[in-house]
Amino acid sequence: MAVSAVSARTDSQSRPVRPPEMNVFIGLLVIALVFEALGWLFIGQSFVFNLQRLQIIILQVSIVGIIAIGVTQVIITGGIDLSSGSIVGATAMIAMSFAQSSDYARAVYPALTDLPVIVPILVALVIGGLAGSINGALIAYTKIPPFIATLGMMVAARGVAKWYTKGQPVSFPTESYAWIGAGLNPVIIFLVLALLFHLALKYTVYGNHTYAIGSNQQAARVSGIRVERHLVMVYAIAGMLAGIAALVLSSKNVTAQAGMGMMYELDAIAMAVIGGVSLAGGRGSVVGTALGMLIFGVIISGFTFLRIDAYYQEMIKGVIIVAAVVADVARQQRRAKAV
Amino acid sequence: MKKTLLVAGLASMLSTTAMAENVGVSMALFDDNFLTVLRNGMTDYAATLDGVNVQVEDAGNDVGKQLDQVKNFIASGVDAIVVNPVDTSATQAISDAAAAANVPLVYVNREPVNVDTLPDSQAYVASNDIESGTLQTKEVCRLLKEAGKTEANILVIMGELSNQAAVVRTKDIHDVIATDECSFMKIVDEQTSNWQRDQAANLMTNWLSSGVQFDAVIANNDESAVGAIQSMKAAGVGMEDVVVAGIDATQDALAAMAAGDLDVTVFQDAAGQGQGALDAALKLAKGEAVEQKVYIPFQLVTPDNMQDFMAKN
Repeated sequence: MAVSAVSARTDSQSRPVRPPEMNVFIGLLVIALVFEALGWLFIGQSFVFNLQRLQIIILQVSIVGIIAIGVTQVIITGGIDLSSGSIVGATAMIAMSFAQSSDYARAVYPALTDLPVIVPILVALVIGGLAGSINGALIAYTKIPPFIATLGMMVAARGVAKWYTKGQPVSFPTESYAWIGAGLNPVIIFLVLALLFHLALKYTVYGNHTYAIGSNQQAARVSGIRVERHLVMVYAIAGMLAGIAALVLSSKNVTAQAGMGMMYELDAIAMAVIGGVSLAGGRGSVVGTALGMLIFGVIISGFTFLRIDAYYQEMIKGVIIVAAVVADVARQQRRAKAV
Repeated sequence: MKKTLLVAGLASMLSTTAMAENVGVSMALFDDNFLTVLRNGMTDYAATLDGVNVQVEDAGNDVGKQLDQVKNFIASGVDAIVVNPVDTSATQAISDAAAAANVPLVYVNREPVNVDTLPDSQAYVASNDIESGTLQTKEVCRLLKEAGKTEANILVIMGELSNQAAVVRTKDIHDVIATDECSFMKIVDEQTSNWQRDQAANLMTNWLSSGVQFDAVIANNDESAVGAIQSMKAAGVGMEDVVVAGIDATQDALAAMAAGDLDVTVFQDAAGQGQGALDAALKLAKGEAVEQKVYIPFQLVTPDNMQDFMAKN
């Protein structure tokens, strides 16, 4: 932290330093402008000035965005979370089984239909939080690398998702459950959570400790931070956010399926990394991740807008992820040299 | 470790039913609704038979893992093997391994690339995918004609691009449209949803925001059709003006049909395929001859006959 403060001061003598989020924002604008220009050239309409499109750009990524808020905090501590997609699958299945309507004759628990919506919500928070706590405890107390601990959870939680109903989907929820993810609610839920954790990371002891652990775990310990307990908390929060994502996703789709959330963990990590969260730990913000998320949304909508052949889309997406990080690393090195 | 457990498991099963027929089953993946119905069709049927043990394993969509599972089955001395291939172009190695060990083998649901050169001890049980896309698109064509359309724009939602069923079903759509009676239909865009409801819903909203005009949506599976319907309803599109078609006749799809949103789906008899595969495997194990290609027919599902399919999938 001290080093970056010094470098900022030195740098500002020549030119004002831009926060890394500003670069991500410029990247977002450039990509949107490219689609805008191509839109007028080939489709004859605006890409950006279309309310419905602006809505879907955010809506289609906000559920992964909820996960990415947790992943951001985990990466800031210097860790990684590969399990969030599988936690979404397992939590969606279990939560939905407590949200089924009595109109459906083949409910998972025929005696437990039409429950108040708070029951599945609590179930999702508990299951997600529990899975995250296990991740955190394994990492903090057995000292195994986060990659391995969360890889184990990724496989195991997907197993739970498949085992729970032997692969059958769980559908037909109550109306109040289906409301959670209806319309633009996923966006609102994302914004509330993003604001909450932005403030928590920036202005609270929780945030200070999170950055401190990621910058230098030894120094954090010496300065009196209870590193183990804090790590469990960060991973538990990430798990809980995955649980919330499961609620929103299963509600939005009015179904829960064992394969749900597949690969979401990688999209969430990519959003954070594009948003300037450093995999080395100690650096990054929820605002950056949110911008990274919007880049994802713009790309997906832009591809469909231009009717780019489905076969090319994933290739281009991969190139953009790597290009964003290459640009970020190059910028870091320039700044390091300037100092 | 896993192998020891497997052998131990089989050994304990063998000790309880000495004369049992043991059938090893390797499924491409467990977390797929359709394949789950197929798998349950197989195990439920096995439970009704005396002295038939079925050991089902999940290949986790991994070609290499599936071949290892087959070899493990051979090593533990099963009487027959049923394989639901992960990759239909990688089946030659599986056939060779089973043939070399003289263990009968039945492929189920997905057509192996070597289907025409299978040895006598091997067979293929499935529905003919060409039927599904054809039945589906012909019905869409009929409905559009009935609505008096002389020109019709079609949006196509494909399944996973690397999947044989998605490729064949999409080709069927093109083939039907190429015929004279349905040439008034025109595909305006074709994108993938990876079989996923959520991705199909997002795709449809993206289409709607681009102002694409369309008369029908043809999806490679029901989950995608249902996703598209959710987005259209959210955007206030009149569902009576759009023909929506899926494939699979899932519970959710039938509910959408009952609500008047989904117009066409196609029933693939998953449980029937599972049962047919096990039957073929047991016959081969006893040394009886079977047809090498057993086709379980697809059936068109419309609001008129949907009641018959409510309890099936």
